[in-house]
Amino acid sequence: MKPFGLAEPASLKDAIAMIGDADSGVRPIAGGSALMLMMKPGILQPETLVSLRGIEPRYSSIETAGDGGLFIGAMTTLRRMELSADVARHAPVVTQALRRLSNVRVRNIATLGGHLAHGDPHLDLPPVLIALRAKVHIAGRDGERQIDVEDLFRSYLETSLDSGELITGVTVPAQGNRKSAYIKHTTRSADDWPALGLAVSFSLDGDVLRDVRAAIGAATDIPQRLKSVETALEGKRAADALQGAGDAAAAEAQVHSDARGSAAYKRELIRVFTGRVIRKAMESAAGGTI
Amino acid sequence: MTDTKNSRRTIRFTLNGRPVAADIGLNQNITEVLQDSFGLGGSRESCGQGLCGCCTVIMDGKAVTGCLTLAAFADGASVTTVEGLADGETLSAEQEAFIETGAFQCGFCTPGFILMTKQLLDENPDPDDEEIRHYLSGNLCRCGAYPEIVKAVRLAAGKRRNA
Amino acid sequence: MAGTTTTVGRSFPRMEGRAKVTGRAEYVYNLRLPNMLHAKACRSTISHGRIRSIDTSAAEATPGVHHVVTGADICKVLPEPFYGPAFHDQPILALEKVRHYGEPIAVVLAADPHVAELAAQRIVVDYEELPAVFDEVEAMTSDVIVHEELKPAGTFADLKHLAGKRDTNLALDYHLRHGDADKAFAEADRVFEHTFSTQQTMHTPFEPMIAIADVRNSAATVYTSTQSPSFVRYELARLLGWPESSVRVKTSHLGGGFGAKVYVKTEALALALSMIAHRPVRLALTMEEQFYTITKHPSTFRIASAVDKNGKVTARKCEVWWNGGAYADIGPRVTQKSGFTAAGPYNIDNVSIDSYALYTNRPPAGALRGFGIPQLVWAYESHTDIIAREMGIDPVDFRKRNILRNGRMQAVGTVVKDGEFEAILDELAKRMDWDKPFDRGSGTVRRGRGVAIGFKASISPTTSSAIVAVNADGSCIVYCSTVDMGQGSDTAMAQIASEVLDIPMEKIRVVNPDTDVTPYDMSTLGSRSTFHMGHAVRLAAADAREKLLALAKEIGLPEGHNTPVPELFVRKFGMSAGAIIGSANYIPDFTPPNYSTGQSPNATPFWMSGATGVEVEVDTETGQMRILRMINVCDIGKAINPVVVETQISGAAVMQLGFTVSEEMVIENGQLTNPSLADYRIPGIFDMPSVMESGFVAADQQNGPFGAKGVGESGTFGVSPAIANAIEDAVGVRITKMPIKAEAIYRALCVKQGRELSDD
Repeated sequence: MKPFGLAEPASLKDAIAMIGDADSGVRPIAGGSALMLMMKPGILQPETLVSLRGIEPRYSSIETAGDGGLFIGAMTTLRRMELSADVARHAPVVTQALRRLSNVRVRNIATLGGHLAHGDPHLDLPPVLIALRAKVHIAGRDGERQIDVEDLFRSYLETSLDSGELITGVTVPAQGNRKSAYIKHTTRSADDWPALGLAVSFSLDGDVLRDVRAAIGAATDIPQRLKSVETALEGKRAADALQGAGDAAAAEAQVHSDARGSAAYKRELIRVFTGRVIRKAMESAAGGTI
Repeated sequence: MTDTKNSRRTIRFTLNGRPVAADIGLNQNITEVLQDSFGLGGSRESCGQGLCGCCTVIMDGKAVTGCLTLAAFADGASVTTVEGLADGETLSAEQEAFIETGAFQCGFCTPGFILMTKQLLDENPDPDDEEIRHYLSGNLCRCGAYPEIVKAVRLAAGKRRNA
Repeated sequence: MAGTTTTVGRSFPRMEGRAKVTGRAEYVYNLRLPNMLHAKACRSTISHGRIRSIDTSAAEATPGVHHVVTGADICKVLPEPFYGPAFHDQPILALEKVRHYGEPIAVVLAADPHVAELAAQRIVVDYEELPAVFDEVEAMTSDVIVHEELKPAGTFADLKHLAGKRDTNLALDYHLRHGDADKAFAEADRVFEHTFSTQQTMHTPFEPMIAIADVRNSAATVYTSTQSPSFVRYELARLLGWPESSVRVKTSHLGGGFGAKVYVKTEALALALSMIAHRPVRLALTMEEQFYTITKHPSTFRIASAVDKNGKVTARKCEVWWNGGAYADIGPRVTQKSGFTAAGPYNIDNVSIDSYALYTNRPPAGALRGFGIPQLVWAYESHTDIIAREMGIDPVDFRKRNILRNGRMQAVGTVVKDGEFEAILDELAKRMDWDKPFDRGSGTVRRGRGVAIGFKASISPTTSSAIVAVNADGSCIVYCSTVDMGQGSDTAMAQIASEVLDIPMEKIRVVNPDTDVTPYDMSTLGSRSTFHMGHAVRLAAADAREKLLALAKEIGLPEGHNTPVPELFVRKFGMSAGAIIGSANYIPDFTPPNYSTGQSPNATPFWMSGATGVEVEVDTETGQMRILRMINVCDIGKAINPVVVETQISGAAVMQLGFTVSEEMVIENGQLTNPSLADYRIPGIFDMPSVMESGFVAADQQNGPFGAKGVGESGTFGVSPAIANAIEDAVGVRITKMPIKAEAIYRALCVKQGRELSDD
């Protein structure tokens, strides 16, 4: 790697002040797993890294609101999230997704903020968080803002973060009795990057689905909602709507051929796994499943 | 405020229980520094992407991917490598178990598997096979010794529980 | 030769076990020399083209750079810088042309590896791109010619007939004629013909290839992770025009080899760089660079069988095209040696085989755990299974009707001896409960099972030499150039010396190969070491034992004395001094094949065989396949160390599992798109079959050391076709191309259901 400098600010404010514009050769580094993978082959050659490891502890914490809502600081490692009793209680689908996200060693280092800011569609948490209607907290020189997770992703490896902005955390609203599930499907080896990630979340009114959220990752350029699936399921009994939801998902998702499968095959996978993820959510305990 | 122009610095950390210091390039990862500054060869870069686990070290109690971890981040930390597991000539339970079950062939990935086994057993003294696979899924063995490795972890767990 | 043994046949733990679990095992990867420079290569970004210019100015201007070296600079120190075991076709750095993606073009030397890497990225190469050929069958007739002229190396006895050629991509063609295949086909009840193919894969040893060269005072020392120290010495001495005594090649334990590290890989370049820099130079490849260095042959195999109504195969015609990539490496030998077993371990009276080694613009292909055999078994065992199913004969029964038994002549003209093909098939069927009912699943999850068996002849003729020294205190040192790359050869050689000399294992040391110290060995490859070096060590130990007896006689001890060895030395030399040195060369008998008929009455000193059975589960909605159970049974003769043998069998099977279902080098628009473990997926722990068993049959290789034979590759043979056969058994579709991906199964299921999936 090309030589670079390293700054280690003690506060978020200082970190934001140092980052400046995106083209200034200054990059923030949290866990660094994804960043190192781009720096080693020379794809990124920053002049200075700004480490976020020393900023206020609030950004590495998991807080629970009285209603069961969660705030997870951006510097929280994925491993801490995975082992958090609060996350397991209030958003068990997140815990479940983390179990198969990369490996223990990477989760020990990788942070929630880095995971989201990377903008890689193959990552697992974006579709899960979209299905849970989570919000991203963003701070910049002009103050703070919150956006829906689905609005964070603009195009392949590109987010809607402005230059000089950092993700500070994620809030997951209280899930109450909502059911949710996530399925990750790999087509080469078992621990490969996924060819497809599908997440769904809904309330049950008797056996009728309400307030459905469905999201897809990996197969599409960006993680995104599948609104046609939500429409196909809304107000229906699951058993009556699975086929239609699968067809809607396959029609809506814009997929491409790559090493993990042709576009035609991925559409078939989306069709099949849409049904499976809904069934998995139906079978889950309230709030999700582990 | 740190000097952001300098691409070198001195780091101080605890290495296998002893305080040490090293003059490092900021672009060096911890595996390179262990090799070049301390002559420790147990953490090795192979795939270079955090997939094979040959470079595993334990930093502040957590297994990390050495080849993707900047050495600068070891400043102030406690680092344990495979060389730090044995007590003199007495091997750790994990090391003994890997020998007794024949859980390696070429041995290049073995330190990584042993350190992940230690991490697992530190956190879960009595893991089932699924939990064993879960912890070891980020380590690859090209010689294909996986069946013996799972046996080794079970044996190591027993040795530690009976110690 | 078997008899009763005390040390041989026992499962001693590996001698280097403590070093490996404490992280202290010696690998060349860990070696650092004082004043050493690091080398990083700039590599071709196209697959075929002329080099118009190389602009090294930005690299040279990078602070900390010592040298930037191109092919022209290499020619100044090594005027004929071409190497290769079969052809001297590979330039140390590209000259005028590049012939494959990733070919090294220039190298930067710097004290800091990061500086060398950065500067190498700054070298700019201007190419005139040429059309390229990537497919082995197209290469037979393509207008694209990879090499203007072919220059055989003349190194090996079995490849002496290779001649120089122009205007062809054909490096070697091998033809075998046994009986009259045309006549048998004309008279056959049934004729079957199928075509199968395999993809390009890579060994991915976890210690990437590395060489550190130190040339000074008209002598060269090269520390390298090679499987072939003696050959590297020979080839470097030839390049230098120096005697072999001026070239010293040292190895340590290898972090995997699997055939990637045979012959010259990084050594010639490291040598030239040290000559240019006048300093030690470390050339350490990355995992990515290994994909550009050596691979496994892609292949196409057209196979046809004539079968009578009783299910007896009366004739087989085999045409095999081997994709050797841009440089021949040992491909011609793969073509010939593997070629003659292409009809399978069956008793077939009429066989015709045509086997072709082709140059293409892919990265070079060489030996990979099986020397071409897994590619052949994939085809002949898939084909055999299809025939059995179409004729309504049980697949195991069909194989048994045709199996080649001891005492019968194999197609090459050599009578089979100590080849337990039928026994391993029987043992496999027994372990699989083949004759019992099988749960075939239901709904969208269907289950099936399949078997396959393959065999291989040993590489021959090859020589191994060994020295066994008995020290005055009664301890023993074994000097041999067999490289322990994880197969446990050090432990096996120590067991053999221990057995012959009756010296306990803990008093025996096996020296790492060092060509100044350890004598010649052809190479550690092709499962040859246990047999060849095993014999050499056995004979050298026996020589030492004879000398000890002579010493005892000389000092007046009666026959049958029980004086301890140290006492003999004290009595002879007045103190604990002196040494007894035993030595031996071993080469088995061999008759080279006749060039026009391919026939030889003595083509191999021993036969290896392996059979695999699998039970699979297929998700018919996705094509996803899971292996529930895998059993591998091999003929290993008598095991020197049973536990090590068992792990060799299962490890080989795991590796072949990766080649079967997930591993594939993908070239698109002339670029290799996946040279990394992120995108070239090797098996991880979650990819293991739910149940895995390894076994072997009681056998005796009568001409082997203590009844043993080689086993490092046998576990690979049956894996791929057994899986394809089980998939057909489960869901009724046949996959003919490797790797077998879920999508391929799903697409085949769609075709079977009469609906075609679009190609996008």
